Amino acid sequence: MSDVFVLAEHRQGELRDITLEMLTLANGVAEKLGGNTVAVLLGSGVDSFAEKVSGYSDKVLYIDDPLFEDYNSEKYQRVLAALLDDYKPTLLMVGHTTQGVDMAPALAVEKQLPFISDVFEFEFEDGKPIPVRQFYGGKVNANVAFKGDPPYLATIREASVEVGEPSKQGSVEKIDSPLKEDIDYRRFIEYIEAEVGDVDITQSEILVAVGRGVREDKNMPMVEELAQVLKADLCGSRAATDAGWLPHDRQVGTSGKTVKPKLYLAIGISGAFQHLAGMKGAKTIVAINKDPEAPIFAEADYGIVDDLFKVVPVLTEKLKELKG
Amino acid sequence: METELQSFIEKYDLLGCIQCGRCTGGCPVTVRTNLNVRRFVYDSLDEDILEELANLPEIWDCTACSTCAVRCPKGLKPLEVLIGLRGILVEGGRVQPTVRDALESVFREGNPWDKPRAARCDWMKDLDVRIAEPGEAVENLIFVCCTIVYDPKLQVIAQNLVRILNKAGVDFAFIGEDETCCGSEVHNLGEEGLFEMLVEDNTELLNSFNAKRMVTISPHCYTAFKNEHPDLKMEVVHYTQLVGELLEDKKLELTREVPQRIVFHDPCFLGKQNHVFDEPRYILGNIPGAELVEFDRCRERSLCCEGGGGKMWVETESTKERLSDTRVKDARALEAGILAVACPFCELTLDDSVKAKGFEEEMRVAEILEILGEAIED
Amino acid sequence: MNIFVCVKRVPDTSEAEIKIDETGRDVDSSRFSFDINDADNYAVEEAIRIKEARGGNVQVICAGPQDADVMIRMALAKGGDSAVRIDDPRINKNDPLQMAKVLAAYIKEQEYDLVMTGCMANDNWFMATGVALAEELGVPHAAMVNQVEFLDGKVKAHRELEGGLSEVVEMELPAVLTIQTGINEPRYAPIRGIRAAQKKELKVLNLDDLGISEEEVSENSSLIELQKLYIPEVVSKAEFIEGEPEEKAQIMADKLVKGGLL
Repeated sequence: MSDVFVLAEHRQGELRDITLEMLTLANGVAEKLGGNTVAVLLGSGVDSFAEKVSGYSDKVLYIDDPLFEDYNSEKYQRVLAALLDDYKPTLLMVGHTTQGVDMAPALAVEKQLPFISDVFEFEFEDGKPIPVRQFYGGKVNANVAFKGDPPYLATIREASVEVGEPSKQGSVEKIDSPLKEDIDYRRFIEYIEAEVGDVDITQSEILVAVGRGVREDKNMPMVEELAQVLKADLCGSRAATDAGWLPHDRQVGTSGKTVKPKLYLAIGISGAFQHLAGMKGAKTIVAINKDPEAPIFAEADYGIVDDLFKVVPVLTEKLKELKG
Repeated sequence: METELQSFIEKYDLLGCIQCGRCTGGCPVTVRTNLNVRRFVYDSLDEDILEELANLPEIWDCTACSTCAVRCPKGLKPLEVLIGLRGILVEGGRVQPTVRDALESVFREGNPWDKPRAARCDWMKDLDVRIAEPGEAVENLIFVCCTIVYDPKLQVIAQNLVRILNKAGVDFAFIGEDETCCGSEVHNLGEEGLFEMLVEDNTELLNSFNAKRMVTISPHCYTAFKNEHPDLKMEVVHYTQLVGELLEDKKLELTREVPQRIVFHDPCFLGKQNHVFDEPRYILGNIPGAELVEFDRCRERSLCCEGGGGKMWVETESTKERLSDTRVKDARALEAGILAVACPFCELTLDDSVKAKGFEEEMRVAEILEILGEAIED
Repeated sequence: MNIFVCVKRVPDTSEAEIKIDETGRDVDSSRFSFDINDADNYAVEEAIRIKEARGGNVQVICAGPQDADVMIRMALAKGGDSAVRIDDPRINKNDPLQMAKVLAAYIKEQEYDLVMTGCMANDNWFMATGVALAEELGVPHAAMVNQVEFLDGKVKAHRELEGGLSEVVEMELPAVLTIQTGINEPRYAPIRGIRAAQKKELKVLNLDDLGISEEEVSENSSLIELQKLYIPEVVSKAEFIEGEPEEKAQIMADKLVKGGLL
């Protein structure tokens, strides 16, 4: 078989974006392999998701069972292990998400799979998919090949591909769960929503974002002043919220919020992919960073390569003048 | 605990204190914060509350300017009590993240700025300079300073020193990538163990060079090497002393005019701590076209800029005017076009204040070596 | 509670210019500064806090060269009790599953309640070693943990999900947790503490000591192969603004205000 399997990801009643992104990527790979794209959906009463993913796949394997009401990496691992044995696809794609990274490496160990994580595209060599991923915060690309026999396993980076309109009408096949009983060594207890602060950055029109380059807390007033002039809200990279310069609900990126403001001013942010994934939907992106190689410039509309401590105060002053 | 307490009392000679209050009376930061150094000296006599005292935020307000030590009639060093209390937190690992990162960076990379050691010589990339070899004779071994080598705004200070010494035909060499933090601020942050390690390692490294004297650029390095490295086998001078000598011996000539009114800000670590007052003034007085004026608070009474004592990594919680703001306002009142400094920290704090006060059009902060760079022909 | 915490020495490349070396499969690290991996540093702190609150023992495990000893001593100075460094050039550093095998070979012979790793290494970004290690050990795990609680021989782990959401899972001990940054504020390791930690045991082991054969963990036997590294072409559509800092700021301000970007 030369099929590409994709594990559909959903949470709290929502199909997550990564699912269709993976299916889009998988369709391209399956075409080269001469196989089909098969979505694997585990859930309880999620028929609408089956319907949705069928528009992007040749077949949907749907296990509708209360056992999968909530995500549990251990249960998912058991099911996927069994499906790999039964269906023998060439490649299984799982999201490089908090769900995927919690499960895929264990599945790879259990089934002795060639496994590559955080893949964002595939090149092909003699008809074989070669995953491409990154090292060193996105500064280096790496081609890492699978060795040995399929099935291969890859976790796929979020926001790596654009999802188009549905172009397929895959059949939805309900199958019985290979896992018959609940497990007791790891139990899902609950979700806890983040405390919502005074500002919801997902709704902001203009965002001033700070990163590691701001260096320390005492430099924040400089950025706050700029934000004030722009009538912008402040947000930041993981480094900025970890350092306590901003509350955690202001974090932009895969482990934080996805934002789509009209204007996004990135100050001292190098642009690790986790951050980029959360802000590349902004209409206009301005980046100020002293490292010309910083990946943020790949996403930016305007780039200023310079010492932010020299640029930002002047920018604030000039804006004040211009805005009267 | 008993022996530890005795050592604290003995170490700082707390029983010698007569509680006259001259320390607190002269302490420059009292106008901004609640710090009362006399009380800390007194309260530290009580064994049970050392820990409690260490947790008071104002122990971090001290800039280690040493005014209290200069004024103490008993020859005590009250600031060291505060540093000792900081040490209690350091030994418990309980320092704020900025201080933690600075200290870890010194330990790993030999500088407090979290920069790789490999980048230490980047500032000299386009210059033809000599790196000292162990055993090889050199007149002047230059110790540049972590802040100057890594801060792109300050690198010109070291670059100008190279120009000047070349012009004067002086025999000099740099230490290169092995140059390691002098430990002045490490000591002031209370990390005594790391300071001891630096003193030991630096003494060994520097003694391996066959140097007649070591020339420091930062007063913080100057005071650390001059006063805290007993086994260092070479004379330690501040560059203003060397350059003053060169001017006096006519080996260096200042030919280009710098037509500015200049006021010199005495760095605490150069002036009140080491009595180097005249050389900077002599140099500035030799600059053609320059008019030298004095602050009311100058020399021993110079107002601290709040850049030392680890304050680069600890922000004072106070809404009252920064001392550096006061200082640039005083310079502005004197209608000085240049506020001259001889210390990288003074340059950073005062330059910030010039911007904060919006004085950029009227005046600038410049290290003496920057001004000298304008006064010599290439 | 017996806790094992796995740490890695990684370069800080956030500001560094990266060059691929002549093999085309590694980077020139001669100008990098190295330190404990960020997330691992949080894991060490969390392990020590758990020990301080509940008693027990913390052992630090590192697979890496002798240069890593400094950061291992720092972890010991903070409160780790002993350490093991696995040093063997035959181990393939580019396969997280093989690395997990190496770590598991040591840990499974010990008595342990909890194993902690960072959730991601800043050099290769696999985010795989900890979870693979759990599978090798045959114990439950939770990845990307930002809060830990214990009750009745069980551990409740809060996993940090996307969008600021947390997922609480409960597991039986022993278990493996991969720790997310920000879970705590790591303490400082004073130099006197580091010196005192010289007295603590730091064992150095190789594959033979662990009883694993080279075939299990060498590059030859890996199921993946790093073919090549290359610097990605930054396809930038950005308009770069030139000039002195003040000029750049002026031009940008004009574009923002007059260009209708606000």
